[in-house]
This record gives sequence, C-alpha cells and structure tokens, in this order.
Amino acid sequence: MMRVIQREGNRAKPTRILYGANLSHDRLTKYLDELKRLGVIDEIINGGERYYKLTQKGIEFLNEFRRMDNFAAAFGFAV
Amino acid sequence: MDSARWFIGFGFDAIMELISFVIAFAVAYQAFKGYRLTRERTFLYLQFSFVLLAAGLLVDGLSTIFVLLARTGARLLGVSSLGYTIFFFAQLTAYLILVCAYLQKTRTLAAESLALSILPVLPVLGYTPTGELILIFLLFFITAQTLINYSVRRTSGSLLVMFAFTMLTLSHAFFLLMLFDARLFVLAHVAQLSGFVLLLVMLLQVNRSA
Repeated sequence: MMRVIQREGNRAKPTRILYGANLSHDRLTKYLDELKRLGVIDEIINGGERYYKLTQKGIEFLNEFRRMDNFAAAFGFAV
Repeated sequence: MDSARWFIGFGFDAIMELISFVIAFAVAYQAFKGYRLTRERTFLYLQFSFVLLAAGLLVDGLSTIFVLLARTGARLLGVSSLGYTIFFFAQLTAYLILVCAYLQKTRTLAAESLALSILPVLPVLGYTPTGELILIFLLFFITAQTLINYSVRRTSGSLLVMFAFTMLTLSHAFFLLMLFDARLFVLAHVAQLSGFVLLLVMLLQVNRSA
C-alpha cells in the first residue's frame, strides 16, 4: 500500500491504493487506519476528495524496508 | 608449512581473520536490523549464521595472535588448535543454519536429516581433511543456491553473494589441499578474506540504495 502511494507521486486516492495493492474494501479501510495509527501515512481531504500521502516516517520506513528486501534477496530469500 | 612460515610468522592469517570477523559481524547486524523491522525468520537465520562465523573467526584469529605473541612455539600449539576447532564448529553450525534456511523454503525434512547425518563423522580436535570436506560440501550447496538466485534475479547484490560464497568454498578447498603444498594455506586465507570483502561490498551497496 505504501509503495502504491509512493508510485503515485506520494498522493494517492483510496481507489488507486485498492487496485494497486489488490485489496478488498474492508481490508483497505482496516489497513489504512492501521497505517495512520502508526504514523506512516497521512490523510488529506482537499475539495471533498480524500488522498493519502506518506509521512517522513513512512518514507524512511519504506526506504529501510527496501534495503532489507534487497539484502535478503541478495542471499536468495524473499521478505 | 615452511613456504607459508612468513605468512604465519607475521600473523597475516590472524589479521585477515580479524578483518573477516568485523565484516561477518556487520552482516549479522544488518540481518538483526532486518529481523527487528520485519520479524521474518529468514533474517534470524542469517543473523545466527553470521554471528557464529564472526565468533569463530574472532576466536581463531585471537588464539593465533596469542600463540605468536607468547613466543613459546610448540608449547601453546594446543591453544591454536583449540581456536581452530571452535572456528570449525562455528562454521559447521553457521553453514548448516544457512542450508536449513534454503531447505526450509521447500518445507522438507532434508534440513534436519542433513544435520544429523553429519554428526557421526565430525573430527574431534583441530584441522582434519574430513572437517574440510564437510565444510566444502555445505558451502557448495550454499554456493549453488546463490548461483540459482543470481540466475533468476540478475542483480549485483546476488552476484556479489554468489562470488562471496564461491570464494569461501574455494578457500576450504585450498585448506584441504594445503597438505600437499603449504603455499595453498596463504591462498586459502586470501580466498576467505576475499569472500568476506565481497559480502562487505554487497552490504555497502544495499545500504546506499533504497
């Protein structure tokens, strides 16, 4: 979900995240709330439209996760 | 060992092992960070494996330096032999953990069977060709896995890891053959250090990218 938001230029609508992450609507809502609670994404309401963006904490988490993913992948393991 | 005397006499083997210890510890730390972030068991396997390698390298390196500095020659060879024995068992366990990690992906009992089948032939103390053969077997399996990984992913990281384990396998082949030519002892240590340096390059590359 966070990768989808980043791919969309750090500003993604719920439907984009839904299709990009291949989730059901219930799961999407649940995970978005969890990510907001963790402080890695922010919700923005602009002109009646809702968007989500990564916080600085979220960007740093994603970068760190990518590093670990690359590290594991170098040995042939998937995260 | 006469032709390798200069190498041992100045402690180059120990210095190389201590450098390798630092690198192995860095890999273990990276794996620890990965586990802390993701709670994936894979990172635990990598962490334990490289902590064991680091500990073994440290012990073997320090025991060699101790014997050199003590300047008592043959009397303390037992210390050096013990150091190598600890290092051997550390490597054996570390590489077994890695083999288990690769076999876990196939969800078979092969990992446990492999570990148990090796136990009866373990050497008791010090360097033995049997021990080297066991390590070569384990390292060859790991190297093959990394080769397959590289053939699929084609990333520089996977290439570096493949070459790293190739060098480690080669180092043990040299350790095995050094009975026939003592100069191979030097090559063995160079190959071993090269393997760890390649892992360091991979680590630096991974930490630079995101």
